[in-house]
This record gives sequence, structure tokens and C-alpha cells, in this order.
Amino acid sequence: MNRRIKFLIIAVAVLFVGSIVWIIFSNRPTDNTFVEIVQNNNVIYSFDLSKEKNRTFKIESDDGGWNEIKIENGNISISDADCPDHTCVKTGVLRSETIPIVCLPHRLVIRFAEKEQK
Amino acid sequence: MKTKRLAELALLTAIALIIFIIELRIPNLVPIPGVKLGLANIVTVYAVYKYSAKQVAMVVFSRVLLGSIFGGNISAIIYSMAGAVMCLIGMLAVKRLVPVSFIWLSSIIGAILHNTGQIIVAIIIMRSFVVIYHYPYLIISGCIAGAFTGICAQIMIKRGLKGKSS
Repeated sequence: MNRRIKFLIIAVAVLFVGSIVWIIFSNRPTDNTFVEIVQNNNVIYSFDLSKEKNRTFKIESDDGGWNEIKIENGNISISDADCPDHTCVKTGVLRSETIPIVCLPHRLVIRFAEKEQK
Repeated sequence: MKTKRLAELALLTAIALIIFIIELRIPNLVPIPGVKLGLANIVTVYAVYKYSAKQVAMVVFSRVLLGSIFGGNISAIIYSMAGAVMCLIGMLAVKRLVPVSFIWLSSIIGAILHNTGQIIVAIIIMRSFVVIYHYPYLIISGCIAGAFTGICAQIMIKRGLKGKSS
């Protein structure tokens, strides 16, 4: 076990612990209700969840794919999509300020917006 | 000799593809894009320590290409490719420093670099930095998955050395 290996192990350990700390500090629940839906880095929808009625609607993407967005009781989630992995559907309801709902194949992001923009 | 080597590499690619396709059937536990076990990388780690850089690159690239065609997720190929390239460069660089008994370490480094490559591509494609918030989760999953695949590869390589079969 020479010095290089020790250095590599320490580097990996620091990254690992640093990530855990980063997650703990960044993962706070939020009372923000302003949400925006971003596609290709353009905001295509933005609304106040506390005033929205329950509904579902589809967002088409450039390449012909779609995501079905569901708003229910002030919560937003992606209820269905035509992509193969369905990661965005499994993410469930948008809760965290830092972790958005992301659909990589359709370049779609649902996240909490800054309140000042309203 | 050359034909034998080619057959070995083809066999490794086939094994990696089978593992990859079986792994697609395992449902993802964590709803974060990019988090997966990456069992097919057992073959990558094994190949890095057994063959030359060019030969490993051949195995990995054909596995990624065929894997995305067979897996039916061709849009994801750019993420897999970026991850594979980063992972390969990192592991080939680290290979000289890390002896066979620390393969798990170079596998972890490869896994972290793999996820780094994917995040970079995601930032470029989405033209936004939101995906960076997935990065700590990807590092942690990379450490765990990398350690697992690395230990598997280490066991296989040690057996190969003992048996002197290759």
C-alpha cells in the first residue's frame, strides 16, 4: 500500500462524504408553490400550484415524444411518458427545492421557481 | 494468436451485452436518472487489467453501441458513450498506479468518472445546470456500484491468475 493508493482512497472517501454532506444540506422541504416547466431551457409553463385545479395535460417534445403532467391537490408530478426508462414518472411528486423532476430524453425539467419572478 | 485474441474480445463483448440486457430488466430503485448498478462494467474492469488500451476500447464501444440498439433506448447512447469514454480514460490512467489487489478502487474511480461524463453531457444537452443537483447522488451510487463491480472483477482476475488458464 504505497502513498499513491492512500491518496486515491482518501480522494474517493472525501468525494463520498462530501456528497452525503451536500445532500443533507441541500435537501430541505419547501413551502414554495411556484413551479415552472422548462423545456430546452425555455420556460414553457409557470404557475402557482396552490391556485391550480386538478388536471392532467400533455407536453409534446420536438422529437415527437410526450410527457403527461398531473396536478393534484397542489402537487405536481409526471404521470406518464413515452420514454423507455420512465425515470421522471418514478420521481413522483415534486417536493424538493433542489431536486427537480427531470426527463432527459425530452429535455424537460419541472422545478420550483423563484418567488421574485412573479 | 491474433485470431485467438479477437475471439476472446468478442466473447467478452457478448458476455457484457448479456449482463447489460439482463440488468435492464431489473427495475430501478432510485428515481434519479443515471443511477444503476452497471453490472456490465465487471467486464470492462476485467478487460482493463487483462488487455491493452486499444482492445478494451474496442470491447467497451461495441458493447455500448450494441447495448443501446438492443436495449431500445438509442436516445441514451450519447450519455452512455460519454460515460464510457470518461471511465475508460480514468481507469487506464489509474491502472498503472493501482495493483491488482486494489482493483475495486480503480473501479470506483471509473464509476465516478462515468457519472461525471454523463452529468457533463446532460448539462450540455439540457443547456441548464439543474441536473448538477443529481451529481452527489450519482457519486454515492457510483462508489457503491463501482466497489461491487470492482470486487467481482477482482475475484475473477485472481482466479484467472491462479489457474493460469489464459
